[in-house]
Amino acid sequence: MTNDELITKLKAIIAPYVQDEKAFENLTEDTDFINDLKVNSANLVDIILDIEDEFNIRLENEDMEKMLDVKAAMLIINTKLEA
Amino acid sequence: MVGNDIVDLEEANRMSNWERPRYLEKLFTSKELQFIRDCENPFLTVWRLWSMKEAAYKLYTQQNPSRFYNPKGFECDISDLNGIVKFKDFECNVKTQIASKYILSEARFIDSEMTSKIIELKGKLRKSHSDILKEALLIQLSKLHQLSKENFKFQKSEFGIPTVLCNSVKIQVSISHHGCFGTYAI
Repeated sequence: MTNDELITKLKAIIAPYVQDEKAFENLTEDTDFINDLKVNSANLVDIILDIEDEFNIRLENEDMEKMLDVKAAMLIINTKLEA
Repeated sequence: MVGNDIVDLEEANRMSNWERPRYLEKLFTSKELQFIRDCENPFLTVWRLWSMKEAAYKLYTQQNPSRFYNPKGFECDISDLNGIVKFKDFECNVKTQIASKYILSEARFIDSEMTSKIIELKGKLRKSHSDILKEALLIQLSKLHQLSKENFKFQKSEFGIPTVLCNSVKIQVSISHHGCFGTYAI
């Protein structure tokens, strides 16, 4: 999967929880889920569960700990898919 | 030092489905899951524990500037509306107020009365919620110190930790908003 394909899939997962549409339109690898997209921290776990379902992977507590931005999410997904 | 957190119960009900598979297991320890299973109102207990964890996390990051997502790492121990939250070798007292529309938690190292002030944000533009909250916090501080509001400047660190600067003195504060409610503590 290319980075563009991964970002497209991630965007679809994140969309329902976004509270700042403008930041979402301009989403890049550096976009922060909470600071930029204003995702509520209680919904971060929904994003994590949706990622698990979409990519058929399981994220441990250590993975969740870093899941604060698009870049970290991409890295974790790629690492799990290669394992 | 203080950390606080507010949960708007209507917003939580609308935006989160705590009964979703694997949801609770991601956020709560086995001891907490047992507590949720045994309680009378799982919905309220889930959000009560959540707000305690968030408040404790905010206190922890005041003391240890950092940013991470590890709600499960913060374990709650509850008796009445007072609780203890532990994370590694960190430990704090967390008091909780459960109202009909919101749950408020306040974490401190000492056992003291809750001081968090609540602000209703209903009808206000969502975009301005944090500005309204900051403004109320600065007004409260200016009254408390009997200095004009212009002396106080709200700022957030690179980790998103809030402080108020007053003539080069840093005042530790905590703010939280969710749905129609905001709160701040000094």
